[in-house]
Amino acid sequence: MLAYGFAQRALIGGVIVALACSLISFFVVVRRLAFVGMGISHAAFGGVAIGLVAGIDPVLSAGGFCAAVALGIGWFSRKGRIHEDTVIGILFATAMALGVLLVRLAGAYNLDLMSYLFGSILALSWTDVVIIAVLSVLAAAFIVLFFKELLFISFDEETATASGLPVRFAYYGLLVTMALTIVVSIKLVGIILVSALLVIPGAAGAQISRNYRGVLVAAVVIGVTSVVLGLYLSFWYDVASGATIVLVLFTLFMLSMAVSSRRGYMRKLRQREG
Amino acid sequence: MRECRVSEFFGASTDGPRQVIVLEDMWASLDGHTVLEGITFSLDEGTFLGVIGPNGAGKTTLIKVILGLVKPDRGAVRVMGMSPGELKHELHHIGYMPQQVLFDPLFPVSVYDVVMMGRTCCIGTLRFPRRNDREAVMQSMAAVGLDGLEKRPIGELSGGQQKRAFLARALCLETRILLLDEPTSGLDYEAQEKFMDLLARLKLEQGLSVIFVSHDVNVLARIADEIVCINRTMHLHGKPMEVLGSERLKEAYRCEFDFLAGVGSHESTEV
Repeated sequence: MLAYGFAQRALIGGVIVALACSLISFFVVVRRLAFVGMGISHAAFGGVAIGLVAGIDPVLSAGGFCAAVALGIGWFSRKGRIHEDTVIGILFATAMALGVLLVRLAGAYNLDLMSYLFGSILALSWTDVVIIAVLSVLAAAFIVLFFKELLFISFDEETATASGLPVRFAYYGLLVTMALTIVVSIKLVGIILVSALLVIPGAAGAQISRNYRGVLVAAVVIGVTSVVLGLYLSFWYDVASGATIVLVLFTLFMLSMAVSSRRGYMRKLRQREG
Repeated sequence: MRECRVSEFFGASTDGPRQVIVLEDMWASLDGHTVLEGITFSLDEGTFLGVIGPNGAGKTTLIKVILGLVKPDRGAVRVMGMSPGELKHELHHIGYMPQQVLFDPLFPVSVYDVVMMGRTCCIGTLRFPRRNDREAVMQSMAAVGLDGLEKRPIGELSGGQQKRAFLARALCLETRILLLDEPTSGLDYEAQEKFMDLLARLKLEQGLSVIFVSHDVNVLARIADEIVCINRTMHLHGKPMEVLGSERLKEAYRCEFDFLAGVGSHESTEV
């Protein structure tokens, strides 16, 4: 499979995206940002449409647009005294409606648009790989460099604020990082399926370990394995790569539930033996 | 980069006890409503001050004003000789324990990790914990009697142990001032007593200045050096027995205390 250039690009791009998504999925799970992720990813449809209409790279236009929506979600829910999930419900539908309208006006209902909805990793160009790498490195750098601050704020925001930590910077930074990660994942699995990459690695990791170090390692292993295995399976069985990756992720999640020390079959088995 | 150096305030020699916190005619509001009016008191170094008052009296706001999280509308607030806004580089001398840490019991951190969070501002941005950070964490875990539980997930601890973990987190800096907002809420009587004994011991051992906020007068009566009673304004300030014996306490709480029966009715310092 690796003899083909498109397969090489898919694998390299996919692994980079998986690394960034797995890191951020830890915070998506512990801060319960799964719905925020859904909101931002669906809003990306509006961003992609702007790119298609204006003739700029849809990944870049979606990046800017999603970052703005992410900041909007943060700002409205912090300042506007509206619950985060309400703001997301409002913003993501509005952004998608904008997308539908723009696409219609530009007459751009075509295959290209479908590839953004469901992913088209096998169509990556080297330029796409470079854009994905740069944005992923930015996202991963934010998580790694501010990890201890993000962990403290996620665990106990009030005390973190009292300790003089930059709580607002970290919150908005996390949202923008999520937006960037979502945008680079769109090429891989598409707008509709991107939340799987943002949620499942962290959720599965949390089943396997009860400490964040173990959760992070497990999340990265599960994320990267799913992408590599998913691509391989989709290549050999000639099925949609995005959907295959998500189904592999789900399978690994079920496996992690089974081996979980919290509730899994392994524990019951051990108890029975004991 | 921030280092946890001893602030000039504590470094300089003085004749008498230092006034670590001073409030003069402090007014504060939340969402446009005045919640504190004309609060005046000071905290001497090494003193345990209990702040009592009914629910909604403005006790938590008072703590937040001292921490610089709420700006007072008027009056003066000095913490370690500075206004709370200037405290940014001295926050490692202040340990804070909020009313209730509403954390997810499944949050994947160990007790050690939680206590280490307290050292975040000492470690500094873009840096990892060093040996002195790890030692400080182990010391404060030992001080609250949680040694041996380092690796346990925080969610698996009992309520009393969790409170002690949060106390250890507040103590693992160069803590000189402890601000405790109803730290014993949710604990049963025995755990509450244990926590208060621990606090009294740590205060003596480490020479801490403590502000302990509680709606429960009984909790504080035994170990506080001084008690302030607030309910929007200041009603009383004095030694525990003076305050608890005062008629004005009932006025502040707008109810009778069973506890007060039997306590001497000394004259209190009316403010």
